[in-house]
Amino acid sequence: MKKPGLIEPDIAEILSIGQDTSDIKTFRIRYTDKEKQEKFFFMPGKFLMVSVFGFGEMPISLSSSPLQTNELELTIRDVGNISHAIHQLKKGDKIGLRGPFGKGFPVPRFRKKNIVFISGGCGLAPLRPLVKAVVGKREEFNNLTLFYGCKNPEQILFKQDIEEWEKTENFKVLLTVDDCVPSWKGHCGVVTNLFDKTPLNPKNTVACLVGPPVMIHFAIKELKKHGFKDEQIWASLERLMHCGMGKCAHCNIAGKYACIDGPVFNGKELAKMPLEEK
Amino acid sequence: MQENYLLKKSTVPELLGSLGKQTEVFVPCVNENNATDFLPYTGQELFLDSQTYYSPKKILSPPLEKEFAFRKKSSSFKISHFLDRGSKIIFGVRPCDTHAIDRFDKLYLEYFTEDPFYKSLRENTLVIALQCRSSCENGFCQSMGTDKPVGHDILLIEKEKSFFVEVVSEKGKKFVEEHRDFFNRTKFVKPEVKFECNKKLNTKGLKEILDNNFFHEKWKQEGEKCLSCTSCTQVCPSCYCFLTFDKFILNTENSERFREWDSCQLQRFTKVSGNHVFRQSRESRLRQFVMHKLSYFQENHDAPLCIGCGRCISVCPVNIDLTEIAKTIRGSQ
Repeated sequence: MKKPGLIEPDIAEILSIGQDTSDIKTFRIRYTDKEKQEKFFFMPGKFLMVSVFGFGEMPISLSSSPLQTNELELTIRDVGNISHAIHQLKKGDKIGLRGPFGKGFPVPRFRKKNIVFISGGCGLAPLRPLVKAVVGKREEFNNLTLFYGCKNPEQILFKQDIEEWEKTENFKVLLTVDDCVPSWKGHCGVVTNLFDKTPLNPKNTVACLVGPPVMIHFAIKELKKHGFKDEQIWASLERLMHCGMGKCAHCNIAGKYACIDGPVFNGKELAKMPLEEK
Repeated sequence: MQENYLLKKSTVPELLGSLGKQTEVFVPCVNENNATDFLPYTGQELFLDSQTYYSPKKILSPPLEKEFAFRKKSSSFKISHFLDRGSKIIFGVRPCDTHAIDRFDKLYLEYFTEDPFYKSLRENTLVIALQCRSSCENGFCQSMGTDKPVGHDILLIEKEKSFFVEVVSEKGKKFVEEHRDFFNRTKFVKPEVKFECNKKLNTKGLKEILDNNFFHEKWKQEGEKCLSCTSCTQVCPSCYCFLTFDKFILNTENSERFREWDSCQLQRFTKVSGNHVFRQSRESRLRQFVMHKLSYFQENHDAPLCIGCGRCISVCPVNIDLTEIAKTIRGSQ
């Protein structure tokens, strides 16, 4: 009997584990199968179904650069039973992977455009492949801006990358935190507060959003106030998936499935979705 | 020319009894709780009067199904799957329920990528449909265009002391040939069946009407009544939502992955990390059920998911009726 296609996990090995914050780790992973390693390719914004055998399967966005081959990275917060289990694993341990699934950011369409990245908390993880892809081919894109909001300074992800991005030509990086502790010298408040700290011109610009539902909602509202049109906005929606193949219906949003029609949706599609379902 | 047959009603138990060795045969009958249901044939009396309370859904989409076994081996895992399913025959499937199977085919076999677990069950199942002769309590199949069967292998139509047998598929033809003693060739033409459903649903432009009335007060009124008991989604022959989970078998070296029916009527259905729930209110969850049936599904699959069997109406403890919701919303246009 042949292998049951996209529904059977492939084995992958944890090569190393980085502690990003007190409850977030980034796992560097490689498929054990050579052919699978070589064929692996993804568009930024896509996700994998990650199995911790015996504990279950969860959807996790890829957080590594798509330009990096053979290996991949997953950034995971210790929040539920499966993510807690993966946090206990060590270098050399094996997990299962299916995918990549979904539609990512259409990077080729962003060429010669200004890009505004908007992200909250863990949302920087799915956005990181996009930022890395763009920074890696810097000359193909115009001005870049990153608005990134976190609960507190300790929760800021990928500090090394952020430092590098700050040094990148025509890349404005603005950070903000909700808990304005005395040691923090930067901006305070929600991420949309940053929109007034630097000129935000919709002309020839696209906005790419990844973050919690409430952030997406208010960020889109603010972007529209700044003159952005629906088609200039791309947002990744968070949903729990059990299959990744448009069958289990957990990620059903009106006539769409976040797992195959998304998770990255264009603002025009978002505008058609009923408000409470976003 | 299409060959038709007659099957004597009195020989049906003998026919069904002769199949049981290598094949699981499911028949409509009365279950231990006195409800009509599809169960394996063990010589029990058949229930062929009307639609069964429970649909044959569980045969092609088991309420709990094993997908994989994971076994720790040295430093890795060996994965084995449970794809091999025995052959099955479902006898006496009503036209509406054949349409539910058709919707499953559209979803599991034709859309995006096929689901190997459903495929292995479906490919090994012979569907013998039984035409209804009269309307049932809450069915509105004529409104949904589901009063004639689809995707079945053999169709039976009652004709006095026999069934008129129409062979529809190659699989059906093979079955009849293998059991030729029971089937007598006939020159009768296919009997006309005429009845009218008590319940009706005007489907003209219904999708657009419902889409445009997402925040209609009717949803709030019905949502307040709803108990989120999930009965509707369980009896619905076309409800397919499932979840998956892993379970350790005695120790952490061995585990298995299961697929289990889920229900959009439960709050946790749309819960994501950080405890955000997208469909927090009963109103929004009831609307999801009805909209999925009468609007959303057809965007991707060319047919409404609702097959008009009326079981969700019969089973609802607080008398929520999706045809009545649709009618009210249309009426307020």
